[in-house]
Amino acid sequence: MAREETFYDVIRRQGISRRSFLKFCSLTAASMGLGPAFADKIANAMEVKPRIPVLWLHGLECTCCSESFIRSAHPLVKDVVLSMLSLDYDDTIMAAAGHQAEAILDEIREKYRGKYIAAIEGNPPLNNDGMYCIVGGRPFVEQLKEVCNDAAAVIAWGSCASWGCVQAAKPNPTNAVPIDKVISGKPIIKVPGCPPIAEVMTGVVSYILTFDRMPELDRQGRPAMYYGQRIHDKCYRRPHFDAGQFVEAWDDENARRGYCLYKVGCKGPTTYNACSTVRWNDGVSFPIASGHGCIGCSEDGFWDKGPFYQRLSGIPQIGIESTADQIGGTLATAAGVAVAAHAGASAVKRLRMKSAETAAERERV
Amino acid sequence: MATLNTPNGFALDNGGKRVVVDPVTRIEGHLRVEVNVDGGNVIRNAVSTGTMWRGLEVILKGRDPRDAWAFTERICGVCTGTHALTSVRAVENALGIKIPENANTIRNLMQLCLQVHDHLVHFYHLHALDWVDVVSALSADPKATSELAQSISSWPMSSPGYFRDLKARLTAFVESGQLGPFKNGYWGHKAYKLPPEANLMAVAHYLEALDFQKEIVKVHTVFGGKNPHPNWLVGGVPSPINIDGVGAVGAINMTSLNMVAGIIQRSIDFIDQVYIPDLVAIASFYKDWTFGGGLSSTSVLSYGDIPDNANDYSMKNLMLPRGVITEGRLDRIEDPDLTDPSHIQEFVTHSWYRYPDERKGLHPWDGVTEPNYVLGPNAKGTRTHIEALDESAKYSWVKAPRWKGHACEVGPLARYIVGYARNIPEFKEPTEKLLKTLDLPVQALFSTLGRTAARGLEASWAAHKMKYFYDKLIARLKAGDRSTANTEKWEPSTWPASTKGVGFTEAPRGALGHWVKIDGGKIANYQAIVPTTWNGSPRDAEGRIGAFEASLLNTPMADPEQPLEILRTLHSFDPCLACATH
Amino acid sequence: MTMDLKQGPVPFNPYTANPKVSRTSYYIYEAPVRLWHWINVVAILVLCITGYFIGAPLPSVGGEATFTFVMGYIRMAHFIAGYVLAVGFLFRIYWGFVGNKHSREIFYIPFWRPNWWREVVFEARWYAFLAPYPKKYYGHNPLAQLAMFLMFTCMTTLMIVTGFAMYAEGAGPGHWSHTAFGWVIGLAGNTQNLHTIHHYGMWAIILFVIIHIYAAVREDIMSRQSMISTMVSGERMFKDDAP
Ligand code: HEM
Ligand code: HEM
Ligand code: NFV
Ligand code: SF4
Ligand code: SF4
Ligand code: F3S
Ligand SMILES: [Mg+2]
Repeated sequence: MAREETFYDVIRRQGISRRSFLKFCSLTAASMGLGPAFADKIANAMEVKPRIPVLWLHGLECTCCSESFIRSAHPLVKDVVLSMLSLDYDDTIMAAAGHQAEAILDEIREKYRGKYIAAIEGNPPLNNDGMYCIVGGRPFVEQLKEVCNDAAAVIAWGSCASWGCVQAAKPNPTNAVPIDKVISGKPIIKVPGCPPIAEVMTGVVSYILTFDRMPELDRQGRPAMYYGQRIHDKCYRRPHFDAGQFVEAWDDENARRGYCLYKVGCKGPTTYNACSTVRWNDGVSFPIASGHGCIGCSEDGFWDKGPFYQRLSGIPQIGIESTADQIGGTLATAAGVAVAAHAGASAVKRLRMKSAETAAERERV
Repeated sequence: MATLNTPNGFALDNGGKRVVVDPVTRIEGHLRVEVNVDGGNVIRNAVSTGTMWRGLEVILKGRDPRDAWAFTERICGVCTGTHALTSVRAVENALGIKIPENANTIRNLMQLCLQVHDHLVHFYHLHALDWVDVVSALSADPKATSELAQSISSWPMSSPGYFRDLKARLTAFVESGQLGPFKNGYWGHKAYKLPPEANLMAVAHYLEALDFQKEIVKVHTVFGGKNPHPNWLVGGVPSPINIDGVGAVGAINMTSLNMVAGIIQRSIDFIDQVYIPDLVAIASFYKDWTFGGGLSSTSVLSYGDIPDNANDYSMKNLMLPRGVITEGRLDRIEDPDLTDPSHIQEFVTHSWYRYPDERKGLHPWDGVTEPNYVLGPNAKGTRTHIEALDESAKYSWVKAPRWKGHACEVGPLARYIVGYARNIPEFKEPTEKLLKTLDLPVQALFSTLGRTAARGLEASWAAHKMKYFYDKLIARLKAGDRSTANTEKWEPSTWPASTKGVGFTEAPRGALGHWVKIDGGKIANYQAIVPTTWNGSPRDAEGRIGAFEASLLNTPMADPEQPLEILRTLHSFDPCLACATH
Repeated sequence: MTMDLKQGPVPFNPYTANPKVSRTSYYIYEAPVRLWHWINVVAILVLCITGYFIGAPLPSVGGEATFTFVMGYIRMAHFIAGYVLAVGFLFRIYWGFVGNKHSREIFYIPFWRPNWWREVVFEARWYAFLAPYPKKYYGHNPLAQLAMFLMFTCMTTLMIVTGFAMYAEGAGPGHWSHTAFGWVIGLAGNTQNLHTIHHYGMWAIILFVIIHIYAAVREDIMSRQSMISTMVSGERMFKDDAP
């Protein structure tokens, strides 16, 4: 590497004053929910580190993770890309194409072996020899393995890379798999969501750059700071849930009063994400605050846990209308009918036995 | 070597040198392009290949049609929402659901917001680097840049100091040796024509647009709860309106309406004071780069969109024009009928799918999506390491849609051509004004630059139309209408046993249609034909080429190793491959 | 008379049996089991009713959310009953170790004993009206034992595990339930699965209860031994002294 400049070097040479640098640091700290004391720590970290190369790959996906990323307000994505890290490869925005683009991957893997971050959006399909997603004439899964194998750490962006997401919904025709199914021996941070919240994405990145370590991950490999609680745990409609006040139908009076969306299928009680706290697009709203239930978009396999407007998951084999209650209710009714029939038959049998008994007794007498 | 005349009037020659660009970057999804250049480095054959497939149409089968919007929305996170809107329209059409006026207005606001956002991001972040040399900006004079900026626009961020700071930041960035996304770009390429000052100004606006785009989408966040992928609802919109009563915080209220109003005004300002002036300034340096017309001068298609009043999808109620032009007959505009099996059909002769009879096309209601990846006999490399494709066989994950057999270009340019040909002042006048400003003839529209210009004009149109619909919403609220959803036919028990429907929109990249068949309350078949399916279409049974391939033909390349010209023209379509293949 | 359980009961034929009705009684269910049984009945009743309304809440109530707690109380009742069920179950397991041999019957099935399976088939035939005469059992009849084990013991375990895992989601790390059952959250992946399983579990238990109560009443009448009163007094009364 020609120069290993630190973030601070770069930012100073960009004509940014130390004062605004420190202000940036305290904003960053605030965006990560850290106290002002951490601003110094962040400042210090940024003064002594070069910009870490990031290789951002795209598999089967819809690119909305990238779209979300560029919506970040704290920090601005402009500052992330120009000053915090070195986004050396990202086919969605990079200037180079074709050979010139592919050459970058080789160069960074070589020069920064074990030092760069692989950020993966989307996932690899395994059916058809991987040729449902082709990059440079080869299966994406090959590129994915190569780039991840030489990385320091891997970030799995969104529900695609983390869980499989929509292309992995039944019947998963391409056999798209989460990236941890094909990568081993590397720390993988899962940042699920369809897409994840912008500030969660940049928050994870700034955490790694600032503290020089992986964020604490939960049992499922997600940063605990953002995925430790359910939407429902911090939902502002929760008092209505507890009160038993629900939206019964779309656009009814209860909907206008902001009652709980549980009965119209809200999956907030089973969804781990930061929407009800961090909210979306610089805090403007989140699905529930705009009247639609959570569909559970950060959860493993959420596409197959619908229908979205039903509290309980349907059982596809039995029909979209069948919930546990319908199936259970039917079985219970059937059992009740069976019991009644059985009781009737038993009564008949008992009468027969009785008369046989009396007959036997009479004979003996 | 082998020369071939296509039925839609192009001459192909696959002799000469084969040049491969894979991955094509600064687009959505995975696209590969192969061209043959002749001895003079002029493109004589073009092969465009969608290199991804997820099978959304397969995945949708058997599901609740009310959920389909969420699945189809994930076809693409860039044109997020347009598939969802198309989907709810298709389902409403199938089930005979009428939506409230307010819902229509809000949907239009969201759809227009998408147009504004997507066009702006495309111009600055996906397309600009084809015309703007970032490295050249380093030698710009900040004062002269300021003068240039002030001469073309009243946008306030234009002082010499502003450009000096930016230049310093850019210089430091480049000197750090870590060029990030600008690494290995085609800097210094002969095809770059802007003076350093224009480059610096464009870089400034690249960054400003990056900051600003995240504001525009807040309209989606207000009504749909998030962006990307806001929420929608069959029968209306999910966000209730409560501007008077208790609990208003959970609904559309005065605060959120104010936010929407503010964003609309700022969007109008940014587009009219930054985007359009930049577009004109940049175009004025590339007037002699006249390539890339492709199909635009012969066959274009638009379904129309933005219904002024709810539930009326007929031509007179659609604010974006509807029509098909073929054979270059601007005087003969036909009406595409999405329900007529003879109008729209998809072919898979050259696509990696299997049909019972591959010479024939299928109307999407009867559409089949069954993958079949095979390479032609003349392909080079192996099944999993493709060096060159054989376009005489199957070669793309994109299907080939045709209107009455015609390959058509779709998108902002198609819409503007239809609007122009229909003499609709909203479209004709700005187009003529722009041509006049640049001192160009109408024919100049049929080009790479024409496509890029139409997109800019449309972004401005859409921003102003947002204002119209905002005012309309306020007027209805004033009149006491709060309704946002119709739930009469929400329950599947109210649905017919078997039905079908079609929904359409004009997505940022062009005409989008979803066709759904519903049996017993479940999706029996779901087919989407997407703008980039049209534009990125491979050849059909008769060998007609699609818009991407046509547009690349006859373009001279300065250096075939540096595919800047190819990128330029492809980017002018704003390709989206996740969309195209789904 | 005595009866060798190992030998298994012998089919009874009223035609050949000693017509003189004699009533023998055996102490089967010790007091703690009986007490547990009825506490458990109450807990499960509460759990099913409240659980159902957690899954499909009652029509919305009006009023100010701050002062209304309908769903809250339903859930609270569920959780209290859940604790009762769990603690009771733990106690019942303990009693399986220290109680009489019948107290162990619901915790296992002697699947390794071919004879036991034959008995299951016999009981099934009796219930299907294929066997003409019922047999006598001190503890559970083998079919009942099978049903108890699968539909009660296993299901209750499942309900407790999934129930407390969901409870832990709300209680959060640091709460004992999270320490004890947090792993289930990870195992479930998407915890919507827990709700689905838990909900099906309820219906399985309801099925069990329907059949169980019916069988108890029916056997009380039809078979040659006391049933309902057994669960009250602990004494199994045989209505005749045939083997
Ligand atoms: C016979 C035993 C039980 C039955 C029949 C039962 C039934 C139910 C049902 C039907 C639900 C609604 C599920 C849904 O639709 O989401 C539920 C939820 C729940 N149950 Fe149980 N349950 C039982 C035992 C337990 C136990 C032992 C606990 C432990 C505390 C427990 C804790 C919960 C929790 C935490 C929920 C979720 C509440 C919520 O989402 O608000 N349950 N139960
Ligand atoms: C929620 C409802 C109920 C549940 C979950 C339940 C569960 C059980 C269990 C687990 C046992 C086995 C006891 C042991 O061996 O430790 C049992 C036995 C018994 N239960 Fe229940 N029970 C319920 C309701 C009832 C009711 C309402 C009756 C009375 C009509 C009843 C009558 C009996 C009798 C007679 C036995 C002894 C059966 C035998 O000896 O085979 N149970 N019950
Ligand atoms: N092609 C396409 Fe889209 C658009 N615009 C959708 O319909 O981009 Ni992803
Ligand atoms: S996780 Fe969702 S949002 Fe992200 S790329 Fe996948 S489909 Fe798009
Ligand atoms: S709206 Fe959803 S997340 Fe919020 S309280 Fe209701 S169920 Fe929970
Ligand atoms: S649907 Fe997704 S965006 Fe948040 S509220 Fe639910 S996790
Ligand atoms: Mg399709």
